Amino acid sequence: MAPSATLSHLHRPDGSATYTHNGYCIIGAVNGPIEVLRRDELAEEATVEVNVRMAVGVGSPKERHLETVLTNTLRGIILTRRMPRCLVQITLQVHSSAEEHTSLGSKFNSNLLLLPHLLHTSLLSLLSASIPLSTTLTSSLVATTPTSPGPVISPTAQSFLRHPPTALHVFTFSGDRKLLLSESEGTFDHEQWDEACEAAEEVCCKVSGGVEIGEGMEVEGVDENLEEWLRRVVREKVEGEQRWKGAS
Amino acid sequence: MATTQSAPTLTFPRPIFAALSPSPFLQAHLAPKNPIRANARAPTEFRKPGLNTGSLTHCNGSAVVRLGNTTVVCGVRAEVLRAEDVPQPIDPKADEEDDVEEIDTLRLLVPNVELSTGSTPTFLPGQAPSTFAQSLITRIRSLLLSTRLVRAKDLRIMYTPPRTTEDEDEEVQPEVKAYWTLYIDTMFISLDGDAFDAAWGAILAALRNTMLPASDWDQDLEMVLCDDDVKKARKLELRGLPVAATFAVFQGEEDEEGEDRSWVLSDPDAFEEGVCRESVTIVVDGKKGSGKIRRIEKSGGTVVGREVMKGLIRRSEERWEEWNAVLKG
Repeated sequence: MAPSATLSHLHRPDGSATYTHNGYCIIGAVNGPIEVLRRDELAEEATVEVNVRMAVGVGSPKERHLETVLTNTLRGIILTRRMPRCLVQITLQVHSSAEEHTSLGSKFNSNLLLLPHLLHTSLLSLLSASIPLSTTLTSSLVATTPTSPGPVISPTAQSFLRHPPTALHVFTFSGDRKLLLSESEGTFDHEQWDEACEAAEEVCCKVSGGVEIGEGMEVEGVDENLEEWLRRVVREKVEGEQRWKGAS
Repeated sequence: MATTQSAPTLTFPRPIFAALSPSPFLQAHLAPKNPIRANARAPTEFRKPGLNTGSLTHCNGSAVVRLGNTTVVCGVRAEVLRAEDVPQPIDPKADEEDDVEEIDTLRLLVPNVELSTGSTPTFLPGQAPSTFAQSLITRIRSLLLSTRLVRAKDLRIMYTPPRTTEDEDEEVQPEVKAYWTLYIDTMFISLDGDAFDAAWGAILAALRNTMLPASDWDQDLEMVLCDDDVKKARKLELRGLPVAATFAVFQGEEDEEGEDRSWVLSDPDAFEEGVCRESVTIVVDGKKGSGKIRRIEKSGGTVVGREVMKGLIRRSEERWEEWNAVLKG
């Protein structure tokens, strides 16, 4: 099932997006480039600040770790050198999360389940804020389970109850199909990791048989990879904004 | 007269070159055919871990680990958590291998990392834990849980009530009266890069060194009594020996052919961590061939793809053998 997203729906921040997938709903807002605190100012590039707020409870070290991972990844794709002495502030509010994973939470760090969704939300918000980016990113959760022969792509919380996984992986690919982020945990070997990586690459940025992506080929459903999905979401937003032109 | 003076040649002593332009400084070291890093190590060379266990007298287990100039002290203290103080008791599962939930929900393992000891100029003493410290604690805690290193069985204090009836066949079920909670405090005495490997090595060594006193529930006093006798104390039975290896990816300037040059440096020191954006941490358990991977963390760049990762896993497995020799030796 493809994720659904709404762009630029908040009026105060420079860019915003709401992203819903597999029971997770995240609201993202981006402000930038704005003035930076003296303490965080970098002379040659922009500072990237990510704030993650959970659906319930106050912040904990867990969120700090997620923020660190997100900052490291997004700093690599934002053209920070174009905006020296500035701040790009990304705020991600988890609106609802699949609560079923609490049963899995002890075995696996539930951060991994949330990470792809947070990455997608922040990218969409950055696009909505027109922050200069060097590339886009697409991310996917993959589970290795003993019951199924191959890796399971973006499993839902319910499927964890039926088939408890031995390992969970999150892979993120850039627009040019390079591995941006990889977080795995559990017990696995190199072959399983490689298989999972290949499966994730396929779902994120598989080249679909010679058809130029974004040529107006509206492919709905399973055939659409995440990169095409991303392009479709942005195209729909731009088409919506250009309606005034065609209406005259 | 200014005109008669020859233009000063642009030569700096090493430390000034490193401070002024850290990235070209490191690239100048790595660019030749046989690259040697600024700290005189080869790119694939780790720092040899130094280990000293049982140095703290008031801890149940302790270890001091040194990786070059990174020095970490880890102490494990055990405290009793009474079962009646637990709001929602958890019944031990039949499958002893599936005990993570018990350890997680009862918070039987409490790791903490203290960086603000004057270990590095970036973290001033007396300040609140920095983002880096919080991130480090989260990674350590989640690794402790996901590797299932400590067995819940070792942490339970059981009590078998006496028979109430004369019936010989009646089974008397032992019940959990209390738990040992392990407070794992890790202090950085000095930090010169690779905090995670050093902290994890120290925790591993300290847990291997931990002795829990023989303890029993006293029905009359309604409290846990521990035995003073060291001979009766028992060690923790750990599951496996997961060892962490961290790599930093240095991306230099383009060379003459316009190709990106990059190097993957094992066990980066503080200077290299400051220059490198991408980092990889791999946790493996077992030597080459039979080893299992327990965790991969990679973020910050695009240099390490599937091919490079294969080599890094091999390097981590070699590192496992080094740590294994040190920890067991």
